[in-house]
Amino acid sequence: MTGLAVHVIEAGLVPYAEALAWQRSLAEARIGGRLPHDVLLLLEHPPVVTLGRDSRAGHVLEPPGVPVVAVERGGDVTFHGPGQLVGYPILDLSGYRQDLHWYLRTLEQALIAALAELGVPAERRAGYTGVWTRQGERKIASIGVHVKQWVTWHGFALNVTTDLSHFGRIVPCGIPGVAMTSVQREQGEGRGEKELWGDTVAAVKRGFATAFDVTATTDDVEQLRLATASRRTV
Amino acid sequence: MATKVFMEALSPTMEEGRLVKWHKQEGDAVKAGETLAEVETDKAVMDLIARADGVLQQVAVTEGQTVPVGNVVAVIAAPGETVGASVASGPPPTPAPSGGGMRDARGGMRDAGSGMRDAGGVGPAPGDVTRVKASPLAKRMAREAGVDLKVVTGSGPGGRVVKRDLEASASRALAPAAAPAVVESHPASPIPHPAPSGAPYEDVPLAQIRKTIAKRLVTSLGPIPHFFLTSEVDMERAAEARDALNRQLGDRGKVSFNDIIVKATALALTKHRACNAWFQEDHIRYWNEVHLGMAVAVEDGLITPVIRNADLKPLLEIGHEAKQLADKARSRRLQPSEYTGSTFSVSNLGMFDIDQFTAVINPPEAGILAVGTITPKPVVVDGQVVPRRRLRLTMSCDHRVIDGATGAAFLSTLKGMLENPLAMLL
Repeated sequence: MTGLAVHVIEAGLVPYAEALAWQRSLAEARIGGRLPHDVLLLLEHPPVVTLGRDSRAGHVLEPPGVPVVAVERGGDVTFHGPGQLVGYPILDLSGYRQDLHWYLRTLEQALIAALAELGVPAERRAGYTGVWTRQGERKIASIGVHVKQWVTWHGFALNVTTDLSHFGRIVPCGIPGVAMTSVQREQGEGRGEKELWGDTVAAVKRGFATAFDVTATTDDVEQLRLATASRRTV
Repeated sequence: MATKVFMEALSPTMEEGRLVKWHKQEGDAVKAGETLAEVETDKAVMDLIARADGVLQQVAVTEGQTVPVGNVVAVIAAPGETVGASVASGPPPTPAPSGGGMRDARGGMRDAGSGMRDAGGVGPAPGDVTRVKASPLAKRMAREAGVDLKVVTGSGPGGRVVKRDLEASASRALAPAAAPAVVESHPASPIPHPAPSGAPYEDVPLAQIRKTIAKRLVTSLGPIPHFFLTSEVDMERAAEARDALNRQLGDRGKVSFNDIIVKATALALTKHRACNAWFQEDHIRYWNEVHLGMAVAVEDGLITPVIRNADLKPLLEIGHEAKQLADKARSRRLQPSEYTGSTFSVSNLGMFDIDQFTAVINPPEAGILAVGTITPKPVVVDGQVVPRRRLRLTMSCDHRVIDGATGAAFLSTLKGMLENPLAMLL
């Protein structure tokens, strides 16, 4: 065990801009030493298309009818929306390993473990960061991170019950021809969406704790609001 | 004392990083701890932090450029200091030459040897105070080449004219940074000699002419401008060699014509790196390793599993691997790592009795070889009509990477190897 504790905050449905502001405040606090522990934000976004630093305009295929935001994370264009579990780890990597490739691979491992628990065999695809199913034919989770002084923000997006038709409007991650999938689609069972969501959140928390060798404790979202609010008044 | 800003390793396994965004421009005042730029590796972006107070100088890298870890991307001059020295490349441990100057010719030389691009810049001549928005190296190159900087469109930050704007060809890899005749010394061909560094590949930025060629050809024919070269090969001696090998092997295995063609293709590619390349939109990646894709028909289409380092493998191993990969492909058990990363492909329809055909390039590769069936034909040898086993090879070339003569030279080497298998030993 690294002995590190990660405070998991399930924040529910949060507009992209607000979640981004939280992340930036939390990361700045972590860098500045005002935040004494790592945080994992778990949430959903209303529909939004985000462009990573590697984005090409041609990868947004049609005016998406949803907001398009350019952000500082790595990677190309992606879509976020309801039914997609978004995870933003605010980790100080100096407590783990100062190695971004290790960090990306460990995030993948966390999701692969979670998906295994949900009965969805998933794997990495060499050269294409993210998590894939069916021998690399379909992409189920996207990853794009930003790091400053070894503190991370941005993170992963796992399709649970996402309406996959939204991805038809973009070239996900800039890989033409990539087929997106979701936990629901891969399981192929008629389970209740709510139940599936709860199971996925639990599995991701466990997968994260195992992959990063940390203990995950749950924090209330109100504490986050307080933390970021007080930060702003400083 | 000026502080060099290096491309930092964000992971022990990171060899190069892409500078995706400058937060500070040349001439901006910076404070230690401030973000200068963002660097990307894989899907992670990291802030490059200033390690000293001062003024950002000699920004040697433009947004989107890929830089080997340890190379200098800029210099922070102490407040009031004039940096009249070079942004020389080279890993941080290299001490600056005594005397406090930062010109480091060794850095440039080392880059030349390692085949890395972006060998870095050279400082302006003392007293150079021209107020042109251009990097010191660009100014010097312009002076030496007799180019008026006013007519050059800058692609650097803020429209600044940088080195690459002045380069007619892209072979920076071979030009030592400190060589005085940078412009003149560039060969017409953008293809660098094989790098002895052991790096698996080398990225060569597209020269302006190559960009124009690429654009023009694409508008004339499909997304990849194919052209085709066909050559008929006499397979008598290859057949003899195959028979002799199989007699010798006995029960230990069989060598097929396909194995021989795969091996010869891989070996010919090592002699024609220009054909062992990926077109990457803004640059061409010339591979120093040969990974041969092998088109395999499967139930609902085709897939190209990869024989890695095919040039280095014995015929039997190639045959064994080809069979295993084809079996896995047909039973859909190929792992992604087994069908990605090929640098050139071979498609063989000989077993379907096809005399010759044209194959479609497997992007981002620049070429594919279509192999027909081996047929006995009447051929004139020494004035006599004799039956010979003949094979038609058709190479599809991506014209953005390979020109006619380049492809023809490769095909000629391949033909020579198949017609005289001993040539493979050369």
